[in-house]
Amino acid sequence: MNKALRISHVGLRGIVGQGLTATHVLEFAAAFGTFLEPGRPVVLGRDPRLSGHMIREGVLASLLACGHDVIDLGVVSTPVVQHAIQRLDAAGGIAISASHNTIDWNALRFFGPSGIYLNTAEAGELLDIYHLRRFRFAPWDQLGKLTVTTDAIDAYLDGLARVFDLPRLRPLRVVVDCCNGASALILRRMNERFGCGFILINERVDGRTVAHTPNTSASIVELQLAPLMQPLQADAGFLFDMDADRVALADELGRGISEEMVLPLLADSLLPVSPGKLIIANLSSTALLEDVAARHGGRVLRVPVGRQAAIDALSTYRPEQIALAGEGTGAVMMPQFRFVYDGIASMLAILHTICDRGQPLSRILAGYPRHHILKAEVPLTSPRIPALLEELQELFPDGALDRSDGLRIAWPDRWFHVRVSQTEPIIRVIAEQRDREPRELFETLLDRVRRWN
Amino acid sequence: MAREHLLKVGVSGVRGVIGGFLTPGLAASFAQAFGTYVGQGPVVLGRDTRTSGPMLTHAVNCGLLAAGCEVIDLGVMPTPTIQIYIAHRKARGGIALTASHNPPEYNALKLFNHEGLFFNQYERSELLDLFHQSQFTQAGNDEIRSVKQDFTTAPALHFERVLRHVDADRIRSRRFRVALDGVNGAGSAMSVEFLGTVLATRLEAIAVDPTQVFPRIAEPRPDTLTDLAALVRRTGADIGFGQDPDGDRLAVCDENGTVLDNDDVLALAVQRALAHTPGDVVVNLTTSATIDDIAARHGRRVHRTPVGEANVVERMQAVKAAIGGEGSSGGIIFPAVHLCRDSYTAMALLLDLMAETGQTVSALVAGLPRYTRLAGKVPFEHGRLGTLMQNLEASFPDAQTIRTDGLKLLWEGRWLHVRSSNTEPLLRLAVEARTPGEAQTLFDEAWRRLTD
Repeated sequence: MNKALRISHVGLRGIVGQGLTATHVLEFAAAFGTFLEPGRPVVLGRDPRLSGHMIREGVLASLLACGHDVIDLGVVSTPVVQHAIQRLDAAGGIAISASHNTIDWNALRFFGPSGIYLNTAEAGELLDIYHLRRFRFAPWDQLGKLTVTTDAIDAYLDGLARVFDLPRLRPLRVVVDCCNGASALILRRMNERFGCGFILINERVDGRTVAHTPNTSASIVELQLAPLMQPLQADAGFLFDMDADRVALADELGRGISEEMVLPLLADSLLPVSPGKLIIANLSSTALLEDVAARHGGRVLRVPVGRQAAIDALSTYRPEQIALAGEGTGAVMMPQFRFVYDGIASMLAILHTICDRGQPLSRILAGYPRHHILKAEVPLTSPRIPALLEELQELFPDGALDRSDGLRIAWPDRWFHVRVSQTEPIIRVIAEQRDREPRELFETLLDRVRRWN
Repeated sequence: MAREHLLKVGVSGVRGVIGGFLTPGLAASFAQAFGTYVGQGPVVLGRDTRTSGPMLTHAVNCGLLAAGCEVIDLGVMPTPTIQIYIAHRKARGGIALTASHNPPEYNALKLFNHEGLFFNQYERSELLDLFHQSQFTQAGNDEIRSVKQDFTTAPALHFERVLRHVDADRIRSRRFRVALDGVNGAGSAMSVEFLGTVLATRLEAIAVDPTQVFPRIAEPRPDTLTDLAALVRRTGADIGFGQDPDGDRLAVCDENGTVLDNDDVLALAVQRALAHTPGDVVVNLTTSATIDDIAARHGRRVHRTPVGEANVVERMQAVKAAIGGEGSSGGIIFPAVHLCRDSYTAMALLLDLMAETGQTVSALVAGLPRYTRLAGKVPFEHGRLGTLMQNLEASFPDAQTIRTDGLKLLWEGRWLHVRSSNTEPLLRLAVEARTPGEAQTLFDEAWRRLTD
């Protein structure tokens, strides 16, 4: 079953025309306009999808009708929207982007002041307003005004340039697969302004065609980006989704690097300058994180899968306690950027690591203990998932147990995680082991899950 | 008990008060129904100067794009200019965001077909059904088009169309002094250009800032145009023009500062048009018999329709009329330019008439057949309407009866017309006779019968 519409704490997402309609957009944006305090402007941006034209108009209509002034950034990445919210001291913002979904999808993503994601309580309130449909529309003489700006990408680049030494990256030969998304606009400008010399592929931005699924999974990198590395004599390759909040990479030998590696790589470069701090990661991310954290005296906090859990965990700590937060999908938040998933910032941090170490990417990666991860999806057919998890738990009584999101059991050298996806009707089975494949454990789990009814 | 009409969704479109009644969601849905009905292709959009115009533009853009249409946004533009552009651009149709002469808190969607004409009654009810069924075309990502803006083509096109039908050089050579009250409406900038530059009049303009709110009651009538009348007197203007917010209606002030009866404005335009253009005249049932007298002079027929611009236009198209209009509401429809109510055509025809005859406005009006018209509103209780009409009809057995829109009773040289308002439980009573005394007697008689 292909779910064409999903309305949840993460916002509104669907296939435009089939599930996601103009009416959904107008009502959800009116709910957000009702949710936000009046007085300060609201920032709007969109990825290049053609449906963004239609959705933009609907969002503008509802926000203006609720009396909010709107600053429209045009086609930008989601991190640029979040940056602008902070820079412009806005009340919040909306990014129109289905990110890593296929081109026929689109979505509304909502941000509060400073560009941070809504926490679960706020997102719940927004959903309640949406479902009540009792919107706070302004009278005719108090409607909002629209300002269109074209300088958001430059301002964002200024922000990046304050944290990263961009000219220092010039000697590196870097290939970037922009996936026909917003990253093309940003990196083109970065080349112009800072002479970075990034070699951009799939950089045509027409919102209609994409060279491949805008997904940062290892298999896409393997197929699309990795084969180019040696012919182009590149030091590193990166691949972004449509709105550049996620990143995946390939090394100079032409090997696709698992998206799981982005978080440990960044942890390894950030922890030395922030010793003892916390890394927030989800239960499905590689245990290499614990290895890296141990090297630098850091600590890993494991939370349920999904951005919402990471956001909620973030909000319970002070920013200075945290080194990094992210997921195994290549979505990473760094404190310098107020904890925004930002693929381009992640890329720059990894490139800096390469410069700092003076080593090729493959050598840096070879320095880590090798973890072998196996992943599978099993169609969800039974409603009796709690009983399944109970049975699996009894099967492995000796490991360290975590039941906060499905079932995760860990041993010193291996772990597995079985959970129901929040976005699709599937059960995800993941097993990982240091130095060798956890084939036997993985097959046992898969067999149990597949036979369950 | 009069209900406040905050929102009306009906065969003439959607009209309502901003701030929770005419919501962006409703506007977008109606636009998507419209886009579904007219089909994928270019759709023209324009608006008057109301504060809610930009917000509703985005909502309508959203609905049209969602239906797979391409939007051509004309920005702030008079309704007739939008209509002319639709036909010229061979668009699928068009939408004007304007509540015409209604107060500033209102707005509405006026809908036009591919010829830039009001939908006829069959098209209108089909569209309304589509809206209620919510079975809209839902374009996918690769079918979604964009909004293109064109703020300059339409006004030039409109001027060019109008100027084909008057002797522009003769008007220019007279260097008329013209006063204008643009009500800060959609025509503000265009009217200054048209009168001041294109027709080279010596223009004295007030309320021509489209960024400001309406400075007076939006409907141009004698009692709302006191500023215009004062301007005419102060500047010694030859004529004064008062527009409504979307530039379709026009009221006229003579060189003495007297605002003309709107029926007389129509009569002057009809007089000018019939002298140069073949065809009959179409007016609504409430329009003055002056029109019949003028048409008779030219040997033309007058066709009468129920009140409403769409009704008049529909008949005009069917009989290939030379000119038409609705007397009391102001504004003329001259199909040689376009089948729409158009203040620019009206201004040009009147200036041309003045240039051609060399007469002042007051002299031209003095030359019209003289009638006295009286009007009033009678509240009635729901359910009593039929009885009231029947009593009235029974009390005037000698009259010719027309029942196509309320009740019209007709005698030689006088008539009375009662019809219920579309928006309120009110009867509108209008009478006309050759002398003030006759008119008053007829009015009082009818009033008594309706209020007994």
